[in-house]
Order: sequence, then structure tokens, then C-alpha cells
Amino acid sequence: MKARRRGRERTATAKGATYVFRLFVAGKESNSALARGNLARFCEEHLKGRYKIEIVDVLEGALTAHKNSVLVTPTLILLKPRPKVTVLGNLSDTRQVLAALRLAGDER
Amino acid sequence: MRRRKLPVRTSNASIKANDALIHALKTHQIDAIVGERHIMMVRLKQTEEELENSRDQLRALAARLQSIREDERAVIARELHDEFGQALTSMHLGLSWISHKLTPGQQPLQEKIRSLSATTTSLIRSVKNIASELRPGALDELGLVKTLKSEAREFEGYTGIQCGFKTNLAKANFDRSAAVAIFRIVQAALTNVARHAHASRVLIALVKKKDSLILTVMDNGKGITRKLISSHDSLGITGMRERALALGGTFTLTCSRSKGTILTVQIPLPRVVIGRAP
Repeated sequence: MKARRRGRERTATAKGATYVFRLFVAGKESNSALARGNLARFCEEHLKGRYKIEIVDVLEGALTAHKNSVLVTPTLILLKPRPKVTVLGNLSDTRQVLAALRLAGDER
Repeated sequence: MRRRKLPVRTSNASIKANDALIHALKTHQIDAIVGERHIMMVRLKQTEEELENSRDQLRALAARLQSIREDERAVIARELHDEFGQALTSMHLGLSWISHKLTPGQQPLQEKIRSLSATTTSLIRSVKNIASELRPGALDELGLVKTLKSEAREFEGYTGIQCGFKTNLAKANFDRSAAVAIFRIVQAALTNVARHAHASRVLIALVKKKDSLILTVMDNGKGITRKLISSHDSLGITGMRERALALGGTFTLTCSRSKGTILTVQIPLPRVVIGRAP
């Protein structure tokens, strides 16, 4: 079964690189819901107007997850800007997540 | 066709990825494991929390039930003592009064009165025993330590099993609920010894340590099976465990054929208020 992608596209108009995220979740499970919320919050706080999030629900099809070598959910992949970064878990450890996504110190 | 061997890489990146995966699994941040053909949902944390909540609720319920039971026992004991005790005492005095009014010629009546008087005395004693069994008044009057000492003496008296009591708490008072719980645990443990252990000796020890209170009841009987210890049908053991847990303590029962049974209850001291006796 092909994975259905539900994109919430908010392409940037502001200056600076556009961040493209792909978040793999498992339906409405607690950690997946937390990860969605946390990612949206980080993006609004640090990348307002210049980010793109694609949510992939593995329950609707595991193929995309498999193609992306995703073993667990929630998994967040920063596709752009390069280099690619993968973060596992519900993204509740703000400091570590921001550091991993190279957003630490990008306060506005 | 020759198959090309894949290079095995153990780069820093893959080690980091493994660490991240282990961390996420350990901290219960994972919802699902995605395999090639299936997705396994992981609800460990949620299930653990639900189980723990359910256990907490059961413990709270058990503690509440014990408390209600003790209150009801106290009410019944008071009613028995005040109503029946008073009535029987009046009856006894009445019979004695009639007995003094009888003339020497009324011998058969005299005999009947003496017999009724003996029955009344026996009834008064029974009512006192039942009331005291329902609510150990000695706990209020003498305190836990002396009550346990007296319980050990009485147990030895009616079972013939040598029963000792040791403590390092000579002059201490416990808060009522803790004292009742400890007393009931000892009562249940001694009942088990008398009924099942085939022991010739039993020792009760109540020891105050730095941050906990430890109650031990050990006998030299035949011990009990592990199956029986964990069985839900062992109501006595379940009751003792529930009372210990309600005080925030732990309950362990160890046994062997050669060494008998050792029951240990450990209660953290802040949960049990111990004050100096007045």
C-alpha cells in the first residue's frame, strides 16, 4: 500500500534557507502527537515562514518509512538544508532537538 | 555470479544513531517499530502507567476498606460492651439480689439461681473477649509494644507454642492506624503459625532502625510453598500485604522446610508517627 502523505506546506517567503522536514508518525499515538506539536512549535518559534513539514503516517503504509530507513516512530528527518539529520523520539528535549537541527542560537 | 561483499561500516554516525535509538526506546518515546512487513505498536509506558494507577487505586481502596472495617469493629465492640455488658451485669446483680432474698427452704430455686448466675458470668466474660477481639482496647491503654507482648503471652498460653517478643522500642507510642495495622499483621501471622506451621517456637521482633520500622515474625515450622505465598486465595497473606502497603511499606515472606517461615514488614518511619509515651 502506498503511503499517503499529508503535507502542511508553509513555504518561506522570508530570507534565509527553507527548512524541509519529514516527520514519521504512528496515527494519533501519544509520542507521535507530542512530536507533531513540538515540531510545529519549534518551527513557529525559530523558522517562521520558512519551513515545510511533511507528515507521513506509517499506519497508512509503511513503504515510505521503509524507503527512508525509518525503524521507529516518531522519527523526524531534516531533508533541507543539507546535511540530512534524523531525530528519534517525541522531540520533547528541546535543547537537544534544536542543537541537532542546527537551530540552537537562532532565537528571534 | 560473484557476489560482492558489502563493506561493514561502524562509523561514528552509526554508533550515534544506535545510541539515539536506545535512548528513545529507554525513555519510552517510541510509538511503533516499523518492520519490513509489519508495524508493531509500542504502548509500554502507557500500559505501565495504567497498571501502576490501577494498583494505586486498588491499594487505596484496600486501605479504605481496612479503615472502614476497623471503624465498624470499633462500633460493634462498643455496642457489645456498653449494651450487652451493662445488661448482663445488671442481670448478674439482680440474680444475686434474688439469691439473698431466698429462704433456706427454697433450695431448688437457690440451685437454679446459682446456675443462671454462673451462665451470666460466663456470658459477661465472652462479651468482653469478643469486644476485645473486635477492637484491641489494649492498644489504646497500653500501646503497641505492651499489647504485642501480651498477645505473645496469650498465644503461648492457648496454643502451647513458645512465643517470644523482642523490641528496641521500650517507651514509644504509634499513631492509631499504624498500631492497629501492625497489631493485625501480628495477629494474622500468629493465626497462620497456629493453624498451618506445626511450629514449636515463634519469635516476634519489632525493631526501629534509622529510617524504618521492621516487624519480623519467624517460626521453626514446616514453612509454606511459594505457590501459596503468591496465591490470591491466601486471604490472610493478602490482608497482611495490603496493610503493609497501605502504610507505604513492604511485605516479604520467606520460607524453607528446615528454617520455617520468616515474615518481614518494613515501614518507612515518616509514614509511622512514633512519639514518646506520656
